[in-house]
Amino acid sequence: MTGVQGQSAATGAVVGMVLGTQDVTPVSFWFAVQPGASIQLDDLVVVGTRKPDGAEVRFYGIVDHVRTRHEGVTFDSDVQDVAAGLLPASISYAARVLVTRVHPENFIPPQPGDVVRHARDADLRMALSADKMGDRAFPGGLLADGQVLPLNYRFVNGENGGHINISGISGVATKTSYALFLLHSIFRSGVMGASASAGRALIFNVKGEDLLFLDQANKDVGAREADAQAQKGLPRTRYDLMNLPAEAFRDVQFLAPPRPGSTAGAIVPHVEQRASGVTPFLYSLREFCLRRMLPYVFVDRDASVNLGFVIGSIEDRLYRLAQGADTPYLTVEDWQPDDAEALIDEDIRFDELGGVRISTFPQLVAYLEYKLLDANDGEGDRKWVGKQSPATLQAFIRRLRGVQKHLTPLVRGDLSAAQAAQYRPDPLKPGVQTTVVDIHTLSATAQMFVVGVLLRDLFEHKERVGRQDTVFVVLDELNKYAPRDGDSPIKDVLLDIAERGRSLGIILIGAQQTASEVERRIVSNAAIRVVGRLDLAEAERPEYRFLPQSFRARAGILQPGTMLVSQPDVPNPVLVNYPFPAWATRKDEVDDLRGKKVEDVGDDWLR
Amino acid sequence: MARMRIRLDPWPVDLQGGQLTLKAFDGTLDDVETPRWAALPARPIPERLKQVFVVDGKRRMESRIFIEDPQGQSGLGGFGAYVVGAVDLCPHGTRQAELLAVKAQRLLAHAPNLLVEPAQLTPRNPHTGQLEYAPAPMQGHDPLAALNTLQQHMLGAEQLLSHSLASRVPVDETDDREWLTALTIQDGTLRGQNLQGAVVGCVKTMETMYLPADRAGLLSELKPGERTPVLRMTYEGGQFTRLIWYVRLCEAAFYQHPMSGVMRLEMFAPDDTDFLPPIVRQVANLSGTLLTRLGSRAHKDPRAPQNLIPTAALEQAMNRSMGSADLVTRRIRAHIAATFGREAVA
Repeated sequence: MTGVQGQSAATGAVVGMVLGTQDVTPVSFWFAVQPGASIQLDDLVVVGTRKPDGAEVRFYGIVDHVRTRHEGVTFDSDVQDVAAGLLPASISYAARVLVTRVHPENFIPPQPGDVVRHARDADLRMALSADKMGDRAFPGGLLADGQVLPLNYRFVNGENGGHINISGISGVATKTSYALFLLHSIFRSGVMGASASAGRALIFNVKGEDLLFLDQANKDVGAREADAQAQKGLPRTRYDLMNLPAEAFRDVQFLAPPRPGSTAGAIVPHVEQRASGVTPFLYSLREFCLRRMLPYVFVDRDASVNLGFVIGSIEDRLYRLAQGADTPYLTVEDWQPDDAEALIDEDIRFDELGGVRISTFPQLVAYLEYKLLDANDGEGDRKWVGKQSPATLQAFIRRLRGVQKHLTPLVRGDLSAAQAAQYRPDPLKPGVQTTVVDIHTLSATAQMFVVGVLLRDLFEHKERVGRQDTVFVVLDELNKYAPRDGDSPIKDVLLDIAERGRSLGIILIGAQQTASEVERRIVSNAAIRVVGRLDLAEAERPEYRFLPQSFRARAGILQPGTMLVSQPDVPNPVLVNYPFPAWATRKDEVDDLRGKKVEDVGDDWLR
Repeated sequence: MARMRIRLDPWPVDLQGGQLTLKAFDGTLDDVETPRWAALPARPIPERLKQVFVVDGKRRMESRIFIEDPQGQSGLGGFGAYVVGAVDLCPHGTRQAELLAVKAQRLLAHAPNLLVEPAQLTPRNPHTGQLEYAPAPMQGHDPLAALNTLQQHMLGAEQLLSHSLASRVPVDETDDREWLTALTIQDGTLRGQNLQGAVVGCVKTMETMYLPADRAGLLSELKPGERTPVLRMTYEGGQFTRLIWYVRLCEAAFYQHPMSGVMRLEMFAPDDTDFLPPIVRQVANLSGTLLTRLGSRAHKDPRAPQNLIPTAALEQAMNRSMGSADLVTRRIRAHIAATFGREAVA
């Protein structure tokens, strides 16, 4: 058998022949599985057919349907006669193939009777378009038969496309795990080449303290991977097959909000399980004003048009107010609060004499209330009020009061300048590759505020410096931050990232339970889409049209550790499984003995 | 006064004759098993009977032709196909039934004394295989001669297959006794000469009543699985004699003729008129058990229960192996057009 130019003869085992009793088309066909062969869903196969001029055309595809039936019998009850040995019947075992690639691109159909083989080695690379990826492929998991699925890094880093979107119901522990696995694979497979150290990740931890142990080895990984290897009959462990180290994340910084109520004393991170290595983060009041963070306090900007105007003008006023000094707190001269005594500080500076220091968020709210509603005998300061009606202003203050409690620990003026600098969250800090920002303890409003502000800062930074080092942003519950309906500043930032981020080197690895509830432009901008287990009703929504019908039906029965991955190079999604995390995802998984036996560790202590 | 009664002929109306037109028999019939004319119960199938083959054949005329040979002679002929095959099953149901040797043969029947080459019909598509017609001279020149030639070839092949599969039946008492391990059930009456295989012919339709009137009554009284004693039947001027018995496969429905569900079985008789080979007796004993098991159901087959389940499947497989008649006719037409030119096509 002579192949087409640059194509060797197919080597995989023969598994069947193209059926002639069903339509054979260039995009899908059935084949009869030959006796002794076993074909399961997701197997990759290759078929060669010859054109009349002798040239060969290869069809690469994935099995998306398998069925058996008695052939040659007409009645359902005939099965009893067949089983009793009276009625000769053959079992017809057939599989349907969705073609993922035709090479060369001659869209002729294969012929009934053409031999179907397992796609292996070179054929597998062709089937998954790995030949187009070259050295820009990184492992995205293992196929059903234990072969590695290559993902095209050009479609991740923004070169040809960017962003990854993951859908799946929660509780099956898949979305975040897979996102982290992809990060691990990108960072450690060498696909980033020389710039490997330049890649960074910003991960928001929204549930429990799961992600606060990313830098610790998982003590269960060895056993779990050995199990999986035995169960699936793999020649090596899944990490080995993918050529990835089974190691925890490196160069990780953990940020957590400060514990509320500790306004006066030390600033302690609000975490329960992890004792050390977590840095608290917060913003100074002056930063809050200078860096125009006020809009991120309001989630429902579109509640009324006027409210939007008020927010805009107050944001501007605060910005001006914060000019001219660099203290973490603000100083105002046109306000005499009722409890002014309490505000006077011993270490007051000369240039602040006669002024009032605003050093907490509630004070800022009180000041705004004064300026908008109380000053001028209830008229408000004309410059601040503008032409807004008192009702709108009251609504503004009311909302601010509503979130005051949640933001008080995060936005503070009672700091030293050194503290303010130390605790300012900086995902781009030198020497740090992965930043985990723990927001699970925060209220919904405060979560939105933190995510919005951090992403906005990141985006603005990347707008200045360009795309040279890629930042991956991992954000679960996208439907909360960028819902399909409604409008919010956080959604604006996310849209910016989704639409322009890839050219700036910000890659969003977003996840959500239901893609149908996320802003369409965010999901549609993701080049790589991943689906874990879905609710079957959800799977029928238009957002999942990229899945063929048979895959949508299967999305309801996917197990943890299994994902359907769709990438632009391969027209059909592929089912992959990925290894158990090598990093701890809970405190009790932390390998605190570092691989040694208990006795050995104890020995060290006793000496 | 007795009421008028109407009973249904169990056989479908489009089948010739039906079961109720019973002709009288003009041969001789002798008791060979027992002179006592009474129903015999079915016996279990012996363990050592491991294989039962159900054999059948089918033929099809595909085109009648007119041949002119290079020597200037001409005559009639025909393209035809026949197939014989078997279902190999275990009477104890311990394994799956399998089709055996179901492969179509193709004949180019032609008037005698013509110089005829084999015809090879090449497909347009390489995946669909060639059709090869082997020349076979026919006897006589009448229009049905081609069909008869086909039929003869088929019957010959059927008999060879039947007997080659089955255990041997001893011809007389001095023969070494052989165990019954393989039995062939052949569709229809036995034809040709005795090749000494354990072959039992199943005659589905009763067109001739072989039994005298005083004995025929037993046929209506048989219970499912029961049989009559074995008789030796000789036709006047018949080439060979047969041993026959009747078996009932199922209860006749109240609306049917009381003899529906009764089948005549026959095996070749040895030349020694007094000798009933023990294998024949064994076959007769187990025939009720075996055939009630193999019998079909009315909703699946209009000829149930006589048309056995394996037979129906075999017929289907044989039809399939001959290919679609329409397509074959087209291939023949295309072959003639390609080989002999446009003027040859009528």
